[in-house]
Amino acid sequence: MHHMVEGPRTALLAQLRRGTLEYCVLALLDGGERYGLDLVRQLGQVEGMMTSEGTVYPLLSRLRRDGLVATTWRESPSGPPRRYYQLTSDGRQALDAFAKEWASFRDAVDHFLDAGGDHDEHDRG
Amino acid sequence: MMNTTVADQLVAGYLARLDAALSDLPAARREELLEQVREHIATARAELGDEAGEAQIRTLLDRLGDPATIAAEAGERPAEPTPARPGWREIGALVLLPIGGIVIPVIGWFIGVALLWSSDHWSARSKLIGTLVVPGGLALPLALGSFATWTEHCSSNPEPLGGARESVCTGGPPGWWEILGPVTFGLLLLAPIATVIYLGLQLRRGPSIAPAMS
Repeated sequence: MHHMVEGPRTALLAQLRRGTLEYCVLALLDGGERYGLDLVRQLGQVEGMMTSEGTVYPLLSRLRRDGLVATTWRESPSGPPRRYYQLTSDGRQALDAFAKEWASFRDAVDHFLDAGGDHDEHDRG
Repeated sequence: MMNTTVADQLVAGYLARLDAALSDLPAARREELLEQVREHIATARAELGDEAGEAQIRTLLDRLGDPATIAAEAGERPAEPTPARPGWREIGALVLLPIGGIVIPVIGWFIGVALLWSSDHWSARSKLIGTLVVPGGLALPLALGSFATWTEHCSSNPEPLGGARESVCTGGPPGWWEILGPVTFGLLLLAPIATVIYLGLQLRRGPSIAPAMS
């Protein structure tokens, strides 16, 4: 029920996700610590953010190894103890830097996407 | 529930497949990933409650995705092979190619060439350049320079009756050599040095792999 059709769109999304999904994770943690399942569900609410829920965990491990995210084990009010993920100060810096780059990158892409129509008019005029 | 249920079997099967798919990872990373996924499943099952049926577990595992996909994501940034650092072989080649032929006449340069070709730090193209520019290295222009010193004989004919003194020289270098000689000599002198710099820069670049993003 969660399978995507393999094809150009999947490949395109994979390309777009590469390098951006981790910042979405950092952004989610900017609002406070979260446990794995919670994070995965938040990401899953927006279609196209991840290939499958399980692929978020290798990403979280990587962020932890890179020092952008820290983990703590804690008893949970219900169920087994959970691993909570928190943003570190390095993580916050990385997120801020990305947010700036992303804004100008998005504007640059929009510039060309929006300018597409104008160009044709000039050519024919 | 004490009995092993179908749900437990499904989960155990999934974790076993994930474990197998992660076999290329270092043990610590593999264990961490398995722990994360185990916890994901346990937390989700706790929320589903005791009445969690087989179908719900299947959906849960289906959403986690193919273990191979998770393994692929985990292996996306594999440990980079550290390029071997240049060693005595490369340094020896860089020293002997230009001046080896001077230190140990002729043989020194050949040792340099042997070191150059036995190293895996240079491409075949770089090795050809290192060999052909210039064979013998700096020994070649030096040897040519000593051969090309012409012995010049000049004799002056004294003209006692007010005529211009005329000197006649024989055995000097031909006219074209006056200009071409120094140019050729200069090029032969500079080329081996340029080659060494080129080969040295290739070494620094090394079999480069883009540094990991952090």
